[in-house]
Formats: sequence, C-alpha cells, structure tokens
Amino acid sequence: MSLTFKIAWRNIWKHKGKSLVIGFILFIGALLMTVGNGIISGMEQGMADNIVKLFTGDIVLISDEQESDAVLFGNMGGKPLKVIKNFEAAQKILAQETMIEQYLPVAGGMVMVLNEASEMEHTMLLGIDIHKYQQMFPDSFRLTEGRLFKPGERGILISEKYRKESYGLMDFWILPEDGELQKNNLTKEALAAADNLEFKRNLVFMGASTSNSTVDVRVPVKGIISYKSLNELWGHYCIVDIETFREAHNYLTGSQPVVQLSTEQETLLQDDSLDSFFGTDAVIEEQTTSEENYSVESLQELTKKEATTVYNPDAGSYNLVFIRLKKDVSQKEAVAQLNESFQKEKLPVRAITWKDAVGVIGSMAVLIKGALFLFILFIFFVAIIVIMNTLSMAALERISEIGMMRAVGARKWFLKKMFVYETGILSFFFGGIGILMGVIIIYILQAARFTTTNEFLQLVYGGDQLNPLFTGSDLLIVVSGLLIVTLIAVLYPLKVVGKIVPLDAIARE
Amino acid sequence: MNVIEITGVKKNYPLGTTTVHALRGVDLQVAKGSFLSIIGPSGSGKTTLLNIIGCIDSPSAGSAKIQGHEITALNDRQITDLRLHKIGFIFQTFNLIPVLNVRENVEFPLLLMRKYSKKEIDTRVEKLIKGVGLSEYIAHKPAELSGGQRQRVAIARALVTNPDIVLADEPTANLDSETSEAILQLMRDLNETEKTTFIFSTHDPEVLKYAKNIVKIKDGLIVGQE
Ligand SMILES: Nc1ncnc2c1ncn2[C@@H]1O[C@H](COP(=O)(O)OP(=O)(O)OP(=O)(O)O)[C@@H](O)[C@H]1O
Ligand SMILES: [Mg+2]
Repeated sequence: MSLTFKIAWRNIWKHKGKSLVIGFILFIGALLMTVGNGIISGMEQGMADNIVKLFTGDIVLISDEQESDAVLFGNMGGKPLKVIKNFEAAQKILAQETMIEQYLPVAGGMVMVLNEASEMEHTMLLGIDIHKYQQMFPDSFRLTEGRLFKPGERGILISEKYRKESYGLMDFWILPEDGELQKNNLTKEALAAADNLEFKRNLVFMGASTSNSTVDVRVPVKGIISYKSLNELWGHYCIVDIETFREAHNYLTGSQPVVQLSTEQETLLQDDSLDSFFGTDAVIEEQTTSEENYSVESLQELTKKEATTVYNPDAGSYNLVFIRLKKDVSQKEAVAQLNESFQKEKLPVRAITWKDAVGVIGSMAVLIKGALFLFILFIFFVAIIVIMNTLSMAALERISEIGMMRAVGARKWFLKKMFVYETGILSFFFGGIGILMGVIIIYILQAARFTTTNEFLQLVYGGDQLNPLFTGSDLLIVVSGLLIVTLIAVLYPLKVVGKIVPLDAIARE
Repeated sequence: MNVIEITGVKKNYPLGTTTVHALRGVDLQVAKGSFLSIIGPSGSGKTTLLNIIGCIDSPSAGSAKIQGHEITALNDRQITDLRLHKIGFIFQTFNLIPVLNVRENVEFPLLLMRKYSKKEIDTRVEKLIKGVGLSEYIAHKPAELSGGQRQRVAIARALVTNPDIVLADEPTANLDSETSEAILQLMRDLNETEKTTFIFSTHDPEVLKYAKNIVKIKDGLIVGQE
C-alpha cells in the first residue's frame, strides 16, 4: 500500500463526517445518473423498437418537395403531404436495393370529419392496402370490435383513442357497421349516457386542406382498433383503405369521382379511353398541384408510357413509403445510399430516418432526454459544489499538518495526490454503490412492468411499458460522469492545498 | 567549510498598517559539524532565523546559502528536495501526522526519499525510536502520546534521514530534564559521529552546557557570539 494511499485512507476514516457528506452526494449522483440514464436508454430503445417494428419501419420515403421531414406528427393542421411523384421509378430502386427487407407505400394525412350539423373535427388518417399492411406490420394493432376491411373494400378502422375523442367533441359513439354496442368499451361519460347514445356507423370526411376541390367521402366503419404500443400517440391515426384516402384528398380526380378508380370498379378502367385518362400519376399530379404545368406533349408522352400500369394499385398516389431494413443495416448508410440512388435518377423523392419522420415525438424524446440530462447536470453541479466546499474546508482544517509535511520534504504533488486519492476512494466506493443500487432499481423497474396510458409517460417510457435498460455503454457514461465530477470537484481544493506553505506548519494563534 | 552562510538577512512581516522587522540584517556563518545554540529573549527572531535557515521561509532581503545553494534562487521543488535530503527540522510546536503512528511518522521522510529498502528503513526507524525512548509506543498514534513524547517523535523524524543540518526550535521545552539530557546526548553523538550540524534555539541554561557555540540575538540582530 502506498504511503499516499495509506494516509488518504486513514484520513477518510478519521474525518468520517466529511467523508460521509462527500460519499452521500456521490452516491446520490451515481444513483440518479444510472437510473436516469437507464430510463433514457430504455426510452430510446423502446421508441425505436415500437415505432420501427410497429409503425414506420426504419426509413420513410417522402416527396422531395416536402419541406419538413416531420411528416407523421409534425404538420398537424398544416398542409397535406406532397404526393410522391414518379413513385413507380422509386419503387424500382427500392426493389433492387439489397439492404431493404420490406417496404410499404401508404398515404398519410389529416382529414376533417363532419357530423350531421356540419361541425368539423379532424383526425389523422393512414391510407393503406390492408393486405400489404398486415404483411409489413402484423402486430401493429389489434381489433377490439368489428372486423378489418377486406382488400379492395371501402372502410375505416377507428382507433380507440379517436372514438373516445370524437365522443367528447361531437357526442356520438362510433360503432362498426354491423357491430353491437359493447358496454365495457364505453368511457365513463358514455356509459352514464348509455341509454340515449347516438351511434355512428360511418363517417363523412374530407381532405383537410386540399383547397378548392374537396370531396366529401362517406366511409363505413368496419372495426375499432387499439395499437399495440404507444396507443395514445399512434391513436391519433385511424386507418382507412387507400382508395378512400385518395378520394378524400382529391388525389385522383377532377370531375370524375374516384370511386371509378377503386378496385371494385377496375373493370371500368379496362376501357381504353379511360385508361389513358386516369391511369397515371402525371395526370393526377397535374390536377392537384396547380403550380405545375405539363405541356400537352409531355402529358401525352407520360400517359402513353404509363398506360400499361393502370391496373396496378401502386400506380396510384402515395405520399409515404415505410421501409424496413434488413438486420444490422445502418439507417444512416441506407438513407444516404437511397438518396444517392434517387438523385442519380433525378427522382423527387427523399429518404429520411423514422426519427426524422416522427418529428414531434422524435424531438419530444430529445426534449425529455435533454430535461433528464439537465437534471443530471444539476445534480452534478450540486455535487461538485458540495464536494469542492467540503474538501477545501478539509484542506484548510489540516493546514498545519499539510504545511508540516511540506516542511519535512513532501512535494506539492504528494499532498495533492493525497486529496485526489481521498476523493477517488470515496468516489469509487460510494459511486460504485450508487451505480449498483441504480442497476438494482433498474432491474426492479423492469420486473415491475409499469404500464401507462398517459401520453406523456408513454413518451418517457418509450412505449406503454417502462422498461429501463442498463448496458455497457450506460456504465461507461455513468463512470465517466462520476470521474468528471470527481476531477472537477477536486480541482479547487487542490489549488488550496497547493497554496499551503511549510510556514503554515507553525501555527501562530 | 561553512554549511550555512547568511549575509545581511532581513525579514519583515507586514502587520496591519505597520511592519514587524523580525530580522534586521543578520550575518551568520556556520561551519560543518557545529553544535550551535541561538539564544535571545522572546520575540527576538530566533524562530524566524531558524525558519530561513531551514528553507521554510524566505528572507525579505539579503542572501542565505545552504551548502552553497542560494535558497532565494531555488524553485519550490528544489527547495522541497533540499529540505527533504539535507535538513532535519524540529518545530517549536511539535507537528506530527495525526493518522500515522509513531513508526509511520518517523519513517515518513524516508519513504518520501524513495532511497532506502524496507529493511534499511526499519532498522533506522527502530534505532531512532529506541534512541528517543519510545520503543514501547511504536504503534501509538500522536493523539495517544504526551506532549514530550510527541516532541521526541518529531526529533526522531528529524534525525532519521541523517540530514547534514538539524534545526531545532526549543527542542527540549516540553521535556523533563532526564529526557532532555538523553536527547541532547543523542544529538551530540550524531554530531560527533556523522558530523551533523546542529542549530537550536533555547532558553534552557542546561541545554547551553551542550552547545559548542552560542549566538545571541536581540531585536532581530545578532548581538554576540561565543
Ligand atoms: N508571521 C508573522 N507575522 C507577523 N509577525 C511575525 C510573524 N512571525 C514572527 N513575527 C514577529 O517577528 C518577531 C520575531 O518572532 P520569532 O518567532 O522569530 O521570535 P522568537 O525569538 O522565536 O520568540 P519565542 O522565543 O517567543 O519563540 C516577533 O516580534 C513576532 O511577533
Ligand atoms: Mg520562537
């Protein structure tokens, strides 16, 4: 045992009170840092798992004309999402890309929901091909009432959250087309009014901001769904068949109702004359984005080229593509590679990570992380101040002892080392216990499986369930945090120690 | 050869708005192997002079050479090493490291020197502790010792490195006459055998009997030498 260590060790025991003060603060700091970090890690992991697995995949494709990346929650009340132009070409790239496991084109956006009194409310809608959706996200939601709409069938799946919300706002209780009232699914208020509830089995809505040319669409409610995770968040979205979505957003139209384009009526489209008229994105785009003008020639050219693809449902309009990557493929790399490919082909498409796409929640996560980080920083700050003070006091209290050691021939560094050791030992011991306790708490929290329906808490949890994590990198973060605190806290006391001169050994009262 | 050469040393302490002139121009040469006693009334500057010789204080003016090193020209580290290797210091107020026991306090400077083996250290330390009559207390902490016993530990610590110069500020002030004499005898023996230079301040006429030379100091000036 080195001399310095021996003296440091014994001083810790001699000055128990001070050691305990410093130890306690280090313990609390390490504990909070471990648990906080664990919650953040769990949140990030949970978010990533839930959102990637259940809702968006790893990467989202959007139109390059889209200003903000935050397409899923970021633009509530804003403009509708831009349609992805020349989707077919983009699809070819996706099909060839080996990093991609699966992808799913969808249409997302907000619609206004009308009631009989022409009052308006809004909901987020996700227009999907139900068959493909279930292939890509089989666990995304479960039915609580009714049934799913069949491929090609018109229908909407209402989220539990939206049903409750719409009851609160518009006083009707949504039921599946041919479903019975299930009393145990009612909210408290609805249950109280159960005897004279007004039911609604279909909804009328229109695309939120498709300015002049909106179409009111009536769509039957097929089922009520509950999302597997982050229900409070994802519950903002109801799920509708893609054709209804397109219709509501006027993606396909002009004078002709989209119904004619729906899968049920595909036969109509087999007529050659209609073919060239409705079958292409180019025509669709021409009518929805008025600022663009295709020349008649180019239009003819486009229609000719695309004519053969008219029966392919994919030829319709999409504004989002959810992409799931193969295992162990880096999101960043995939995004970069896809964007490179799109640029090469001059396609107006942009690949973004799911994090960018969820925007608001993504940044909410960053905010929560930041808040926790600030909190830990605050703990650090307090810890540093307390330790600094206590150590400086200790240095001054031992001034004649230290001066004497200097007089006897101890170099400044020897005495500084003594203080570093003292603090280091305390930091190691109490910090270690703090980390250990923190890890135990994390495991207890994991085992307790706390769940929440609170929207904010779901964000903190990264899902419905609190599932904090403790990984090697977390340990590294906490240990380096502890180290930094210890080093900063000891700096000033070391300065005090350094100023003690041999003459201080000779106490003069 | 002079191990200590002090010329025109002044030491001023600022005290509020005034200045205390603790030393007003001291010249002193001490030859190797001296056994020198500094005497003078309280407040005359004995401690101040010893502090300067012992390199734990620096003169306000003048020059102080310890074994040829001008101490005002040395940096902190050089001075520290000079203290460690060349000088043994016994303070007027005995200072020990509270968390170390008698043995550990005495071996402290030896460990700092990093020069001796564990065995050498042990034999030296034990010999000196025996010399100051504390063998029974070797494992005691300073808090468990009397004032005189602590003083003896400090003396043992000052002598353990076998320094060229030992400075002692009233080393026997807290000791009974019997112990005093034993310790003075120990110092004289070291002085004879190792040619260690001893400088000590004292009020005690008994101590003066051991001194080979005496320097009288008054009001910060040397007023006599014999
Ligand atoms: N740090 C200091 N600040 C102010 N004055 C000081 C300081 N150290 C010493 N003095 C003054 O210098 C003078 C000499 O002090 P010093 O301690 O050298 O005397 P001394 O001869 O050792 O006295 P004593 O026999 O009482 O120990 C005294 O007047 C003292 O008050
Ligand atoms: Mg004195």
